[in-house]
Amino acid sequence: MNRVNIREQVSNFIALFVIQLPMLYRITLLDRAFGFFYIGFLILLPFRLSRSYLLVAGFFAGLIVDMFSNTPGIHAGACVFVMYIRDLWLKIVVDDTEDLTNINYISIKKTGFILYAFPLVLVHHLVIFLVENGGLYLFVNLITKTILSALFSFIIIFVLNYLIVPKPRRQ
Amino acid sequence: MRKLLDFLYRRRTFAIFLGLEIVCVWLIVSFNQRQNADFLNSSNALSARISTSSQNVSDYFDLIEINQQLMLENEQLQARLNANIAYADSLGIPSETYRVQGARVINNTFRRSTNFLTILGGREQGIFPGMGVISTAGVVGQVKSASNRYATVYSMLHPQMIVSSTVKRTNTNCSVQWDQESYDVASLKFVPRHIGLKEGDTIVTSGFNSVFPPNINVGVVSEVNLEDHMTFYDAKIKLSVDFTSLPSVFVVVYETKWEKDSVEAL
Repeated sequence: MNRVNIREQVSNFIALFVIQLPMLYRITLLDRAFGFFYIGFLILLPFRLSRSYLLVAGFFAGLIVDMFSNTPGIHAGACVFVMYIRDLWLKIVVDDTEDLTNINYISIKKTGFILYAFPLVLVHHLVIFLVENGGLYLFVNLITKTILSALFSFIIIFVLNYLIVPKPRRQ
Repeated sequence: MRKLLDFLYRRRTFAIFLGLEIVCVWLIVSFNQRQNADFLNSSNALSARISTSSQNVSDYFDLIEINQQLMLENEQLQARLNANIAYADSLGIPSETYRVQGARVINNTFRRSTNFLTILGGREQGIFPGMGVISTAGVVGQVKSASNRYATVYSMLHPQMIVSSTVKRTNTNCSVQWDQESYDVASLKFVPRHIGLKEGDTIVTSGFNSVFPPNINVGVVSEVNLEDHMTFYDAKIKLSVDFTSLPSVFVVVYETKWEKDSVEAL
């Protein structure tokens, strides 16, 4: 079992969460893709953490984001939901979770990272847009917005993870 | 009892999950009340300060637009000044008095399904929940909540925002509400079918509710539809305010609002 890499967690927190706050809803691609890449910080928290802590962390992170976007409860609710299904989902997509502590593109491989992170980001965005929209009104608009935004956020999370996590040395 | 506690302990993750989600639902529901002094929104000190500093950076890139807007504002004020000199209250009909309080916009969204603005100006500047917000081009929104130095404003692009308006040409009362589709189009409601509504008609505020002064532009009718079975027109208007560039706004402060409200409450 590996130790938790503090440096990686702190970098994740700054790059994904702190940077997100001032630019929430300010960057838009193709007129409808918003990036909520702060969720990357939450889904990359260490695997060993107790699920109760994860839920509480998700709640408060979401609440802080909510303060900036005038949506009390929406981001928090989506984050809590993602944190609840996170570990269950990880056990499904990654075969060998025995030695896993730090979640990054090396420890769970690139395909594992895509399989793990993208659906969670998608679910998170879907919950947010669904609640914000107040139902399935304007359905096509809602779905394209969700998919484009999730892709956008996921690419940012993946690239930042690639930059933050040091490459393994060749033996 | 012991068994119950044991059960709760074994299921503690699920219990916490459920508890937190219930809190979230409660927050969502309570925020949807029209006006509140909630601290969990963009007019609280922390988020407003961060928004201000990031707006300070982007303001540099918008200087040209801000200048153009100021020029336009000056022209309009000049025109109004001239008009005032010509007909200086010749009838002596008492009119409602209001003043406008200028405020910088520090955060503005227009592509979401519910949109808000955050402005630099709060209770210390006399800005309170419920006041109307306009710009030189027309109606912008209504104050939702205010802290000491900041305020959160419902944008016109919020489904809960309904503006009492009139068709300028025929003086017909109607309402304008955003239908969440595009950031420059809203729907015009309750125009009865005997009115000859045409494309190009100007819609202005009615001034009936001490939120907006009368004759502030709301938009121009862009699409009119009337089927045989309908009592009211199904019409769209193009909003006169360009929400994509909105560097500063004015908050309408009615000095006589309490008096009007108390008379109407009788």
